[in-house]
Amino acid sequence: MKRQFGKWCAWAMILGGLYMAPRVLGVFELNVLLGTAIFALFSLSLNLLLSFTGLLSFGHAMFFAAGAYGTVLVLTRLSGFPLLPLIGIGAAAAIGLALLLSPLLVRVSGHAFAMLTMAFSQIMYATVMKLSHITGGNDGISGFAIPSVSIPVVGVVDMALEQNFYYFAISILGLSAWVMWFFTRTPFGSIMVGIRDNPERVTYLGFSVPLSKAIILCVSAGFAGVAGSIYALFQNMVSVDGVLGPLSSFSPLINCFIGGLGTFIGPIFGTGIGTILLELMSAHPEQAQLVFSLVLIAIVLFLPGGVIMLYWKANTRWMAVRQNIQNRFFKRRIYE
Amino acid sequence: MNDQHEPADHILTTRGLNHYFGERQVLTDIQLEIQRGTRHAIIGPNGAGKTTLFNTITGKYKPKSGRIFFKGKDVTGFKPDKLARMGLGRSFQINSTFAGLSTFQNLRMAILARRKIRFNFFRFLDKIKSVTTETDAFLRRIGLAAERNLPAGLLSYGKHRCLELSLAMAVDPELVLLDEPAAGMSREETHKMVELIRELTQGKSVIIIEHDMDVVFSLADRITVLHHGEILATGSPSEIKSNQEVKDAYLGEAEVGNAA
Repeated sequence: MKRQFGKWCAWAMILGGLYMAPRVLGVFELNVLLGTAIFALFSLSLNLLLSFTGLLSFGHAMFFAAGAYGTVLVLTRLSGFPLLPLIGIGAAAAIGLALLLSPLLVRVSGHAFAMLTMAFSQIMYATVMKLSHITGGNDGISGFAIPSVSIPVVGVVDMALEQNFYYFAISILGLSAWVMWFFTRTPFGSIMVGIRDNPERVTYLGFSVPLSKAIILCVSAGFAGVAGSIYALFQNMVSVDGVLGPLSSFSPLINCFIGGLGTFIGPIFGTGIGTILLELMSAHPEQAQLVFSLVLIAIVLFLPGGVIMLYWKANTRWMAVRQNIQNRFFKRRIYE
Repeated sequence: MNDQHEPADHILTTRGLNHYFGERQVLTDIQLEIQRGTRHAIIGPNGAGKTTLFNTITGKYKPKSGRIFFKGKDVTGFKPDKLARMGLGRSFQINSTFAGLSTFQNLRMAILARRKIRFNFFRFLDKIKSVTTETDAFLRRIGLAAERNLPAGLLSYGKHRCLELSLAMAVDPELVLLDEPAAGMSREETHKMVELIRELTQGKSVIIIEHDMDVVFSLADRITVLHHGEILATGSPSEIKSNQEVKDAYLGEAEVGNAA
């Protein structure tokens, strides 16, 4: 009961904070927050493969990029296309790409999976560059207007306003994160973890591992696509190096490591810490990478479970301290 | 060939199975007939091809030649997961559980398979009461209720072995292939394991690989002796015990005396 109450309090604080953010924060800080949220969702989608299925992807940016390009291409070519379906198109583009690659990707794991995903994202990079008459090549596509949304009762909401777009984007991102969390808690989610631990046994229990992997890949890609789609709208541009560069694939991986592998929530913390670090160092961009790398090394060496481990450790210690206080002052003896 | 039906009382039949690892022939012309509802032991020295035979029957390896019939249907070349869904289960010689997951979560995976809950994305697993109840009931049945929340990797060897067997049995297969279920166990643990096998495989068809002759002779209705990838003899336990060829090849006099 007490735990439930604490949980609801935490949720109320998070939601309240996200709701109040545009009123409290300046435009710059709000943009940093939204940027973080977008990359947090991207990292969460990667984490579905990494922590839950045990698949290391070096090319997850291709799904992010598919979402970004999918949305932008439709937006710039078909005028009057509503906003929400545009995000759906981003997700669909990423899922389409995942379906296309899945016959090859689901049959491998470990190093082979990492290398294949990297190779496919390289191919996609080259393709986007080659099709510059459609994609804008190196310069990308920019300067498009985000369509307004008309909501019954409320009326037409202008998405060019930072605040409005923030509310729209954060709702989609939050909902996506929740759906992904739900996904890990379904019966299929437990099979996913089974595949991570022992694919052969899962097979002998009667589950098809390749088919299951294909579904997981599509789900993960779909949410990476949603993140990419919102990212493109948020940045008001999409370019090869922005969404498909090597850093685009590696930064979510690093976020997962910093946050802590094996948990659902870890990547959100990792992304937050990564962003704060980069912002703190923004006055010295030359040293930013160095500091970032040192932090990564420190975490790998001293906190292999990621930042989330700090919470668990503190929680365990707090429980012990509380027990101690109770024993001392209330003369409670558990072992009597 | 597909319409060639086998007698209904045979749950599994193999016809002329041959398998090679590279140039080396590891299975030669294997003819097996497993009666429905019986326990059939496969014995033979190390390297006789027993586990390879299991891997071939369960679809992990595709035989170079020969056919496999399961429940009267030609299943040669079927994949393990498809065969598992048809009712063919299997346990492993080396414990192959989900080491990072709790005993409960391990067994729940098998219960999901038993209830054919495979692609369910729309319900909280924890809220499906019937699955939780059934898993807990099975845990009590195999005597691992106290270890419910312990990661499988931290179970004692004997209990881990018991979970290994239970993962196969909880799916409720019609025919189960047990690969040395009592391997590496003490006398006492072996005895318990035999009782558990007897309990869990009631009314099912079983093929069991085992080195412990006590286990073999106390469980098996029929025995097949495998030697250098070939079937040396098949018969009832007493026939096998008195078979001179088998004695020479595999069973030492002392061992048979012990078992009898």
